[in-house]
Amino acid sequence: MGIVMGLCQTILKKTARQIAVLLLFSFLAASVFAQEKALVSGKVTNGKTPLSNVSVKVLGSKAGTTSDEQGNFRIAAAKGQTLVFSYIGYAEQQVLVADQPAINVELVINSLSFDSVVVVGYGTQKKTSLTAAVSTMKGKEIASTPVTNLSNSLGGRLSGVIVTQNTGDPGRDGSSIFVRGVSSTGSNQPLIIVDGVPRDFTQLDPNSIETFTVLKDAAAVAPYGVAGANGVILVTTKRGKRGEPTLTYNGYVGFQNPTVLPKFANGYQYALLRNMASQNEGLPLPYNQFALQKLRDHSDPDALPDPNVWDLIHKNAILTNHNIEISGGTEKVKYYGSFGYQYQEAMFASTNNRKYNLTLNLDAQATPTTKISINVNGRNQNTKYPGIAPGRVFELLQYVNTRRGALYYSNGLPGDKIPATIYGSGYEKINTMALYSQIAVEQDLPFIPGLKARGAIAYDPSNSLDKLWRLPTHINSIVDTSQHPYVFKNAIFDQPLASLNETHRQSYQLTYQASLNYVKSFGSSNITVLALFEAKSNDSLSLAASRRNYNVTIDEIDLGSSSQADMTTNGSSNSTRQLGLLYRLTYDYAQKYFFEASGRYDGSYYFAPGNRFGFFPAFSAGWRLSQENFLKDITCINNLKIRGSYGEVGALAGAPFQYLSTYSVYGPAYVLGGQAVQAANERSESNPNITWERAKKTDIGFDLSLWNGLLTLEADYFYEKRSNMLVSPSVIVPAEYGIGLSQVNGGEMKNQGIDFSIGSAYSLSKDLQVSLQGNFTYARNTLLKVFETSATFDNPNRRVTGKPLGTQFGFEAIGYFQEADFNPDGTLKSGIAVQPWGAVHPGDLRYEDISGDGKINNDDLTKIGNAPTPMIIYGIAPSVRYKNLSLDLLFQGSANANLYMDRQMQWPFYNSMNAYVANFNSWTPDNPNAKYPRLTNAPTTNNSQQSSWWMTNVSYLRLKSATLAYSLPYNIIHKIKIQNVRVFVSGQNILTWTKLQNYDPENAGAYTNLYPQQKVISAGLNVTF
Amino acid sequence: MSNIFIKNNIRIASLILAITCLVSCNKYLDVDPKDQVTNSTLWTSSGNADLFLNNIYSGLPDPYNKLESEDTWTDNAMAGYNYYDSRAIYARSVYTAVNAPNYWIHFNNVRKCNVFIQNVTASTLPDAWKKQRLAEARYLRAYFYELLWTHYGGVPIITDVLNENTQGDSIFRARNTDEETFQFIDNELAAIADDLPTKSDAGRATKGAALTLKGWCELFEASALKNPGNDPAKWALAAATNKQVIDLGVYSLFPDLETLFFEGNNNNSETIFARTYLGGSATLGGSKEGLWGLRNVGGAQVGYGGVNPTQELVDDYEMNNGLPITDPASGYDPQNPYVNREKRFYQSIIYDGCNWLGYVILTRRGVGSKNEIDLTNGSGGGPNTGYALRKTLDPKYAVSGSNHLNSANYIIFRYAEVLLSYAEAQNEAVGPDASVQDAVNQVRARSELPALPADLTQDEMRTAIRRERRVEFSFEDKRWYDLIRWKTAEINLNTPSLHCMVIEKVNGVWTYTVQPAADGSRIFYANKNYVLPIPQDAIDKNSKLVQNPNY
Repeated sequence: MGIVMGLCQTILKKTARQIAVLLLFSFLAASVFAQEKALVSGKVTNGKTPLSNVSVKVLGSKAGTTSDEQGNFRIAAAKGQTLVFSYIGYAEQQVLVADQPAINVELVINSLSFDSVVVVGYGTQKKTSLTAAVSTMKGKEIASTPVTNLSNSLGGRLSGVIVTQNTGDPGRDGSSIFVRGVSSTGSNQPLIIVDGVPRDFTQLDPNSIETFTVLKDAAAVAPYGVAGANGVILVTTKRGKRGEPTLTYNGYVGFQNPTVLPKFANGYQYALLRNMASQNEGLPLPYNQFALQKLRDHSDPDALPDPNVWDLIHKNAILTNHNIEISGGTEKVKYYGSFGYQYQEAMFASTNNRKYNLTLNLDAQATPTTKISINVNGRNQNTKYPGIAPGRVFELLQYVNTRRGALYYSNGLPGDKIPATIYGSGYEKINTMALYSQIAVEQDLPFIPGLKARGAIAYDPSNSLDKLWRLPTHINSIVDTSQHPYVFKNAIFDQPLASLNETHRQSYQLTYQASLNYVKSFGSSNITVLALFEAKSNDSLSLAASRRNYNVTIDEIDLGSSSQADMTTNGSSNSTRQLGLLYRLTYDYAQKYFFEASGRYDGSYYFAPGNRFGFFPAFSAGWRLSQENFLKDITCINNLKIRGSYGEVGALAGAPFQYLSTYSVYGPAYVLGGQAVQAANERSESNPNITWERAKKTDIGFDLSLWNGLLTLEADYFYEKRSNMLVSPSVIVPAEYGIGLSQVNGGEMKNQGIDFSIGSAYSLSKDLQVSLQGNFTYARNTLLKVFETSATFDNPNRRVTGKPLGTQFGFEAIGYFQEADFNPDGTLKSGIAVQPWGAVHPGDLRYEDISGDGKINNDDLTKIGNAPTPMIIYGIAPSVRYKNLSLDLLFQGSANANLYMDRQMQWPFYNSMNAYVANFNSWTPDNPNAKYPRLTNAPTTNNSQQSSWWMTNVSYLRLKSATLAYSLPYNIIHKIKIQNVRVFVSGQNILTWTKLQNYDPENAGAYTNLYPQQKVISAGLNVTF
Repeated sequence: MSNIFIKNNIRIASLILAITCLVSCNKYLDVDPKDQVTNSTLWTSSGNADLFLNNIYSGLPDPYNKLESEDTWTDNAMAGYNYYDSRAIYARSVYTAVNAPNYWIHFNNVRKCNVFIQNVTASTLPDAWKKQRLAEARYLRAYFYELLWTHYGGVPIITDVLNENTQGDSIFRARNTDEETFQFIDNELAAIADDLPTKSDAGRATKGAALTLKGWCELFEASALKNPGNDPAKWALAAATNKQVIDLGVYSLFPDLETLFFEGNNNNSETIFARTYLGGSATLGGSKEGLWGLRNVGGAQVGYGGVNPTQELVDDYEMNNGLPITDPASGYDPQNPYVNREKRFYQSIIYDGCNWLGYVILTRRGVGSKNEIDLTNGSGGGPNTGYALRKTLDPKYAVSGSNHLNSANYIIFRYAEVLLSYAEAQNEAVGPDASVQDAVNQVRARSELPALPADLTQDEMRTAIRRERRVEFSFEDKRWYDLIRWKTAEINLNTPSLHCMVIEKVNGVWTYTVQPAADGSRIFYANKNYVLPIPQDAIDKNSKLVQNPNY
């Protein structure tokens, strides 16, 4: 380590001054070389038809023109200069001016440019040379969509990526991402790499992203060793390109509304449902005719109100994003800078999220053999919530019903605690500052041509301050309904005095990389060699203080009560370490046969000294059949490659330090002698042998491109076997053992499936182009070996082994008991299996007696549903371009996922909540096949058993995004010295088709107390100067 | 360029990297978790070893942060919400081995005690410290076994630290008999009582605590459930042990039953053993006011209203003349039922017309009160019996929910119980002698009730003591165990309905009517419910465990 650091420091010192000077002069350096110019001409086509209005520019100068109706162009350029051809929807092309008689250019539709370069782990590769399974997406595909958290932009756009966004809560709305599904009982989080370093990407400015790359198979992830088993997502930010400075403005303003809101019963409906429930239980009715009439005609809005919680939400909440980019460069220095501002309001006016992003990327050719890159990416995010978290507010909304009283009384006073909770409960403000900074030095080693050494250091400090200021909430109630007019009384709900909690968190991540890179061609053979050493550390700490009982309502930590009992302080810290040595060797013969070997020798602090290091190799090969003579003559095939890979990767699935036999010390733990005391707790019984999970991954795939991009297909079959999987052996010891056991490397799981992306583009005329992109991922896992008790293992219906992880078990509901099932005395007819949870009545759920023993018990449990994580996710993206108008759509869907409806989704009035209008569809003798069992005021133990009755298919298809854009014609904007002006309207989560009622199908979390997904409609503008 | 040269260079470069790595690698990866200590640190100083014992104390049940008081399982109270487990599952006895209350988890605490005893015994720590702390750990182990024994009957007696690596299959232990489990607890307490001081830091086990626990277990063992032949020797044993506590002379009745439970009187002269609390700390403060207290007062929600006393309990409070309301001479007026009742009624129950937090509380119908009795099995925490809990609740902490504000300790054993346990055992063993009279009357006198008539028969005395226990210890989690050991649960907890008090205007006059409470039915199966089912999870993992009958 020391050597590497020293080396880097020396280079840093030497070059620091040079960099500064270069920076200062970079803008001046774009001086024009006096050279002899001549008129160059040619023709631009798309392979078949001429393309008009194609922008043709001389790189590094302001000179430019466009092609005419026949695709012809003429421009003054000197030999050695570069012409840049660009046209909407097509890949930019650069052509060096030499002695050609005419420069004829064939532009290729953007997404089909298979000769492009792909970012891979610790480097880049030509797409044609790839032997690994990788999917990519350009940042600009999502830059205009009104989405604040980048993790929510991946679903349906990248094959192999399964995404579920559980909540729409601003600032907390990130998706869970699974690359090729779930492969372990432990963590399935993919590794996220931003500009070569493990970092969070979700809050980056979408405009500053160049590409997303998903590494899916062993060949692609092997360089990440222990961190790679769950797949890797590489995010690359934009860098400067040689040329004149380009200034771009991107911005939009959007309006957000929930995708779906539950249809709650109104006051009258609630009363009817309560009456039905009480009638079923033989109890007096809570609402008499008199009260029902008042609820229906709203004649007593204070005592018998009809509260509508949706009146409280802030409609058309603003979401806006503004960004300015500047980029350009000379031979020696290239720069990219971006500043972004984002502001998001929420369903409650007291919530908002404000974010500033700054990116500065600089590449300098410091000496003829030394290249230095500096990246700075900073972010400041301020999120403000009510004093009660929005998720909890959304839960509270479901409690509002006529019985609890009015939200606001007719005199304007707040009644129910909900309005006060949203608007009068104080605030939680979270201020996060994060900086990603790195410097990389790349040195050509002149004594061996093709050999480069590279050193990089990344330093990422971040800190956040979470300030929670809780105020007493004031509400009102009617004193006595027998007095008229009503007298109202003000009262305080919850704590009578304000309180403040402040939590400060800090973390420092330091990453060192040192590598050697060698590239060599001899004859038709090409080899590359990469050897890289990497070390990563992260140190974090938190410090928190709180005070209660503020007599003055000033939100300063000092001003709370000075009684010791009203103060707390807490703090903790922890460190993580990882280091590894990795290699990659590639060989190809004539761009036809490709071989690659890569791997990593990796170490982690998680395990005991003897078990810390592991070696994870991978091998892959590709064969580009389209380069073979027997296919070369078939002109419709532009590209055909088959590829395969096999390798092993590791995973840190469980918690660190399970090898240690230690005691946790914590406090305050108990009170002895009137004083709070600390305590020590025996941790789980240690496992000194614990080590990595190992994933053996196999992938077979092919890439195909036909008829000049009319059809492209990339498809893969994958199979992964996770062994050494960390599982809890607690079932092998009795419950009386009294302590948990550390995990052991004892589980096995397989995961297999297919993913593919397919694309088609066609020009119907020179003005009208259509294209269709689609992708599909199917991943199904199976638990091969886990610890199970004989109670489940010996029963094929209950056995967990051999089924997908997360499979849901319960009783098989076979409908309702009907009146015909009962004897006149109310007992069940003989021959019907006995259910042990109390007397049943007509309209109660009946379960299947699978074991046939005449009674329902654990032996009758069986599989009732799939896991909540979908097995299938797909996206279909049609787009149409007519002249300067374009329409891009993305339909996204998922399938094979089940949500277990729990709590209020099962039961009206659950925990004193409201009911849904749908609850009218409950069992009655006249409605024997209703959706819900007979109404009762409380869930009955019989009907709330985990059963198939409450399992819901949460498959969905949604119009995830749509963008309609218009670019001003070149000949207009050209005159006002603007390169490009594009106006657009865009939408997100526009339409959804699903079976799930009342909630968004992606809110697949329990209980639905989740802030709903948002539908956003926005209008925006891009201008490039 | 020769390939060998390239290879050599790569090799050299790799070597440099590898050496760099190997020199510093293992060191680089050495991270010590900062919240953990090793065996060698923990068991080498008494201060550190105390930390482990503190953790065992913290494993004592934490009733003041539970949504439901154990009394809601009994005929003393109903839960305020129709979906609370005590009302939806336990009261109806619709539980199975899967969803029954789980006391088996106290084996976790048993293990901790065994770990402490094993390590401290083997240590070279000071003998005086060892003696006291080992006795405390054995006291706690006996207490956890008492919880297991009273709920399951015989359970595996484990006094070593189970270790799958060294013990193999012998970690799977069968159940000991009911008798063996009782004897184990009794012998342990006998063995350690003298090692414990009579006074210690508040919260720690003392000699009095050990003898009280011993006397309680003996009383349980002597009662009908475990003593079907009514062997008087068992009663005599219980009487003698409770007498030992009385004779220690360190405990006396606290003058006021109401403030006995307030934080200012923690560790008072009556407290023998308590689970401790420290208000304001999210981990240590108690929340009974927020969880059990009346829901709406003065227009605001100040509690969840989790505990609603029943008419059955209210009827057991005597008149202030010391006569039960069933006695025609008592002066009880069913149409004015809340006047001239004994002091403990006013200290324990919130009823229509009483004052609470500065407001007059109305549960009567027809005035739009948020506390109006709920006759429809709604779920709003409104009183479904017409009553709300007052006992032990400190008005200072009436803040809805898990507020963790209160420092008041939860008293597990207090001196009044020793007196009444002694009286009960002595009455059964010998008869209602003067010492029995004296013990009961001491408890009554504190609440300003006259002494019992001196001529009560043994049966009358039994009835009087049982009522006295119910009233004196209401909402202190004693009722369930009493109904079980007396074997009266099959009567008291097997009823078409518990009752409520409906107050409404009939012909212009406020009228009091006792009627079945909504959702008030109770079921108790005598053939199985006197013990709980062993959790299915424990049965599945240990094939040597035999399930209790009829589960």
